[in-house]
Amino acid sequence: MKLTLPDYLIIIVYFVFVIGVGFLIKNKIKSSKDFLASSTGTPLWITSLAFISANLGAQEVIGMVASGAKYGIMTVHFYWVGAIFAMLFLGVFMMPFYYGSKARSVPEYLAMRFDEKTRSLNALTFAVMTVFSSGISLYALAGLLEIVLQWDFDVSIWVAAGIVMIYTFLGGLTSAVYNEVLQFFLIVLGLSPLVIVALQDAGGWAHIQSSLEPQLTHAWRYMGDADANPMGLHFMSLIFGLGFVMSFGYWCTDFLVVQRAMMAKNMRDAQLTPIVAAIPKMLMPLIVVLPGIIAISLMKTPGGYDIPLDDKGQLNYTMTLPSMIAYYYPSGLLGVGITALMASFMSGMAGNVTAFNTVFTYDIYQPYIVKNKSDQHYLVVGKAVTVAGILISIATAYIAKGFNNINDFLQLVFGFVNGPLFATFLLGMFWKRTTGHGAFWGLVAGTVGAALTHGLTMAEGKGGWITTIYEVKSGMGQAFIVAGVSWVVNFFTTIIVSLLTKPKKDEELRGLVYSLTEKPVYPKSKWYLRITPIALFLLLLTIILNIIFF
Amino acid sequence: MLNKLNHLSFVIGLFFTIVAVILLGNSLLTETGGRMNLYTAIVFGIFGILMMVLTKTKTPSDK
Repeated sequence: MKLTLPDYLIIIVYFVFVIGVGFLIKNKIKSSKDFLASSTGTPLWITSLAFISANLGAQEVIGMVASGAKYGIMTVHFYWVGAIFAMLFLGVFMMPFYYGSKARSVPEYLAMRFDEKTRSLNALTFAVMTVFSSGISLYALAGLLEIVLQWDFDVSIWVAAGIVMIYTFLGGLTSAVYNEVLQFFLIVLGLSPLVIVALQDAGGWAHIQSSLEPQLTHAWRYMGDADANPMGLHFMSLIFGLGFVMSFGYWCTDFLVVQRAMMAKNMRDAQLTPIVAAIPKMLMPLIVVLPGIIAISLMKTPGGYDIPLDDKGQLNYTMTLPSMIAYYYPSGLLGVGITALMASFMSGMAGNVTAFNTVFTYDIYQPYIVKNKSDQHYLVVGKAVTVAGILISIATAYIAKGFNNINDFLQLVFGFVNGPLFATFLLGMFWKRTTGHGAFWGLVAGTVGAALTHGLTMAEGKGGWITTIYEVKSGMGQAFIVAGVSWVVNFFTTIIVSLLTKPKKDEELRGLVYSLTEKPVYPKSKWYLRITPIALFLLLLTIILNIIFF
Repeated sequence: MLNKLNHLSFVIGLFFTIVAVILLGNSLLTETGGRMNLYTAIVFGIFGILMMVLTKTKTPSDK
């Protein structure tokens, strides 16, 4: 792929804009809260788009296109099963506690609801995960640019990290969020021409359906038997593992996404943020799943587009999106496509770094390292942590380059930590008897349970490091089983330990637990402006979409 | 104009308008991929201008 002057011009314009946003916001940063938590009263449309953009990094975009090519339309489960329901639940039931408690972060909510040890466990694991994720994002960007454009790996790393550092250092969370919104439009508008042209090339959706195996064009029909569908999953495993444990664990507890809703200017907007975000999220498969399905259909016609092969002669699904961009986009539009990919990598990195600096400063440094200093002190620390986060990301990117397996290892460990989280929040928010000891030991037991399950199961040659007592057909199925077991272990451990330990008094739990919190009351308005009816309507739409593509 | 740069919608609109101009120029001055660049430039241009125009009616909180 060769870029020409217009392509470079578009990339440069994008860089100028993202850095410019940092400079524009710089003057509004007066306190640590402005920098780390954004206290500007951000409007709903920005918080909503930032909410889904935080999960629209290039690894997700490229990964979902790859999954579309590999598994077909079943990939939509990551949206219509693995996202929408959890987002609606977060908006209707959980945001009142996050926002109403005035916590500045999710770990801080855990400190209010439970105790310091639960907070520190969550804060430490989250900080480590975000900063390593940021590094992996950087490594993936440099690797992609090296393969696709033959750009030097080191130059890509330092330029991309340098730009992210400038705008996050200048404008903090607000700057990262504003660039996420720009990135959202760039991805949607930048990839739409590709979908249109490739769909036309493939003869339209009806032709794609007739040319592909039915397992690739039906989302649910072949899920009654794990051996009958390309993902190798039974529908129960999908619904519990992805639709409940992993989805709710990510969308409802991960500070990186919840932080966007916590930026809202009032409780109503905070609740509406994930609900409004569910609308574009529902339609996102058109941009990130459909191209993969089109790609596999195009390969049925010789002489046209082909997914590239890897060193072993297998289809390299990860390269589906970049290769489609190279195949269809002329000079000019090619710059838009490459910029969209770079934007999503950098935005993913910035999102991780800004979540890292908030949690490190508010949940590790302030409560445990240096207490009771002026706000200016914590502002300076927040900025220093931003620089440190970027430098650790760069180091992680180089480690990832040297040890390819480290990516898989980190993702695995992140899965162990994330799997059980939702059980802690569910019990904490909806059962006032849950104690700090219960929450802490539940999390520990859930994580250990996840690791043991992985050590006792084997899928695609992975796992089974203790002994193999159960073989799973696909790695994805194994991940769902590991998450499911960790959730169940956490859930019951938390209940048992809570029943054996002393709970907090009711007065201490007001605003933190469902039964002790007044429900938000808003002025009467038409049904389509009210939170629960909108959520129910979107729920119905999601179910209809699942039925249409059954 | 400078004041409007404080509005994200204006910044996004300006970005897409500039990209539209680059694509339009490329489409008119070169022979490669003319139509695809032209159509995309039109869509980007309309979107960009709309975003900038709509910024006028936004409240000061959209900063």
